[in-house]
Amino acid sequence: MDFSFTPEEETFRNEVRAFLAENNPNRGSKRAHGSDVGESDDDFASLPKLLAWNQALYERGWVGFSWPKEVGGSGGGLIEQMILKEEAGKARAPMLGLSYMGLAWVGPAIIQYGTDEQKQRFVPKILRAEEHWCTGYSEPGAGSDLASLQCRGERDGDAYVVNGQKIWTSLAMWAQWIILLVRTDFTASKHTGITCLLVPMKAAGVTVRPIKTMNGDTPFAEVFFDNVRVPVANRLGAEGQGWDVTKTALSHERSSISEVTSLQHNLDDLKELARRTRVDGVSAAKDPSIRARLAHLDATIEAMRLNGLRFLTKQLRGEPVGAETSVNKLLRTKVEIEIGRLACDMQGSYGQLVKGSHGVVDGGRWQKHMLSWPSVVIGGGTPNVQRNVIAERILGLPHDA
Amino acid sequence: MDFGFSPEQQQLRDQVRRFLDDESPLERVRTLMAADAPFDAALWKKTADLGWQALVVPEANDGLGLAWEDVVVVAEETGRSLFPSPFISTAVAARLIAKLGDDEQKTRWLAPIAAGLSVAVLAVTEENDLPFETGVETAARSEGGRVILHGTKMFVADGMAADLLLVVAREGAGVSVFAVPADSPGLARKALKLVDTTQRAARIELADVTLDASCRLGRPGEAAAAVRDALDAEIVARAAEMVGSAAAALELAVEYAKVRKQFGQPIGRFQGVKHELAEVHVEVESARSLTYYASWAVDHSTEAARHVSMAKIYASAAADRAGEACVQTHGAIGFTWECDAHLFYKRGRMSRVILGSAGWHAERVLAGYLDERIPALDGL
Repeated sequence: MDFSFTPEEETFRNEVRAFLAENNPNRGSKRAHGSDVGESDDDFASLPKLLAWNQALYERGWVGFSWPKEVGGSGGGLIEQMILKEEAGKARAPMLGLSYMGLAWVGPAIIQYGTDEQKQRFVPKILRAEEHWCTGYSEPGAGSDLASLQCRGERDGDAYVVNGQKIWTSLAMWAQWIILLVRTDFTASKHTGITCLLVPMKAAGVTVRPIKTMNGDTPFAEVFFDNVRVPVANRLGAEGQGWDVTKTALSHERSSISEVTSLQHNLDDLKELARRTRVDGVSAAKDPSIRARLAHLDATIEAMRLNGLRFLTKQLRGEPVGAETSVNKLLRTKVEIEIGRLACDMQGSYGQLVKGSHGVVDGGRWQKHMLSWPSVVIGGGTPNVQRNVIAERILGLPHDA
Repeated sequence: MDFGFSPEQQQLRDQVRRFLDDESPLERVRTLMAADAPFDAALWKKTADLGWQALVVPEANDGLGLAWEDVVVVAEETGRSLFPSPFISTAVAARLIAKLGDDEQKTRWLAPIAAGLSVAVLAVTEENDLPFETGVETAARSEGGRVILHGTKMFVADGMAADLLLVVAREGAGVSVFAVPADSPGLARKALKLVDTTQRAARIELADVTLDASCRLGRPGEAAAAVRDALDAEIVARAAEMVGSAAAALELAVEYAKVRKQFGQPIGRFQGVKHELAEVHVEVESARSLTYYASWAVDHSTEAARHVSMAKIYASAAADRAGEACVQTHGAIGFTWECDAHLFYKRGRMSRVILGSAGWHAERVLAGYLDERIPALDGL
């Protein structure tokens, strides 16, 4: 075991720190790392700042840091990627690039499966945050069982005609493009009949209907397709290859360092809250049950950090890393839920107040947290799906159904 | 940055696993449980030939001079096999002697440990069951160049197997450590009866045991930091054993869930079974990461206490949950004497109660992070 970094890596870390000292728009702010999307009312007010941040990152080649240089990335290695994320996280900087879905899902898929034209057309605009994307995966009847999706794509000359509905489509209201999974072959097996299309949201026949969630925000939407014509040139990968295209569009970095730093900030803030909150007239920081819960959160977040480093080490050694990442996804579920619950528990009767109320604690931030965890807990595979993944792919237990 | 074991450590792990699979399968563990012997001297000799006892003994004292990480590699495997042996206890004693002893003392006690000729253990806890910083009542007094020890030690792991006891006693305003031969006049020991019969512990009475002053390790009253270091190292090694036993219990449960059929299918297909086993896997992997890191931290970090306690919290929870899941997955057969599930269940549940209470460990995780330091740790 060796937790030191090479002189080159340390130099890179210093470079990142210097960059952040100059360009991080959240300098001196208390907001948690990565909490800059759709989570607060001043999002739009801070947009120019965020665009300047994206531009500064882009000029360094740090948006799409791990992407190949040919498409405008940096070809950055795993360790440097971790250092960049870790430092940005510690500095509570915004995410490393504003075209979130484009960076997380679409870019990697286009880089791997796209034609040269598609790469040139789409990738630079993701890096420069000129185009935003949403992902058209889930449907009302295809959630955890995503491969059973029914949205139709019928070939008609040089186009596919799309009919059907998507749901839980994050950021659909603001996106210019959607990466869409449609069924082009109803006779093939469920995984092989799926094709991936890149569709402009302003295309005729696309309707977006926002969905309000329990925290009052509308982070996602239903998207309806009514005879939407999509040129064959906008197909990503071959016909019937859509499932593979989606599966490989995963982050190349497994250390989950961004999530961990964000959770650590939440925990630090929670400890600070404990010091200034009283339960039954006594400081919450002195309450043994609250102390035990804080310690357990602390240990769980540290376990996530270290699990991530173990997975990263496996990757660095060229060993396969796959289903293990479900371990951290399940831990994150527990941590996210417990943070909101513990924060509200500590506030006693004040725990019921929301933003705008007389007496509200921390502007209602914790209540918001308590009402927002499903977006990261349910999104990307529910905890029960993660448990199935672990049980079947790691432990080797039989598949259900 | 590399958070994994070296090829040499991997080899050590493979060798230990092969040895234990061949020499100490659970049938043999059961024989020893029934025999009530303090340990299996024949196997102890064999493990010495493989170099286990020499791992952390400095090279100058005929040891291998390796790191605590290497002890953890072996301990995870001994946990997996529920191997009853004073391996960890002796490694802890060796670490303490190496830290505190002068050259003459190291030559005298470490070389026999490295050769497997001596079983040495640390005797710290007393009947008050307090952390040693506040709990040591055993007293040392000097009389004409001799030292006289008086007091009682409890829960001394492998205390019956030891020929040398490192007794922590109050001396002046601090604590000292004394190397006490187990056959010293005035020393009486008694085996405790444990829930987990794969382990051994003793109560040790010191009724004015008189020693030569050369038996004191380090300067009078100044051993607290070294004792804390040895205890933290012990907690990490036992956490590694917990991880090993948890992983083995999970394996046993998974194998049974694959073959046991009810309602026409393997029970491992039912989510009520498979999801609990998946959760156990999450706990085991997390405990593993925390324990491996803590094993590095005790040799390299100034924040070892925090990391050691995180490891203990997670490893004991994983061992407990895995043992229970193992019994429950097996159904009625799972609580028969014949089925091995109860061996893991007992190891797991007892992991929770040894080596410091949950609250004490939680405090060490929070110390310096939530509020002022804990007085208990500043006592000495």
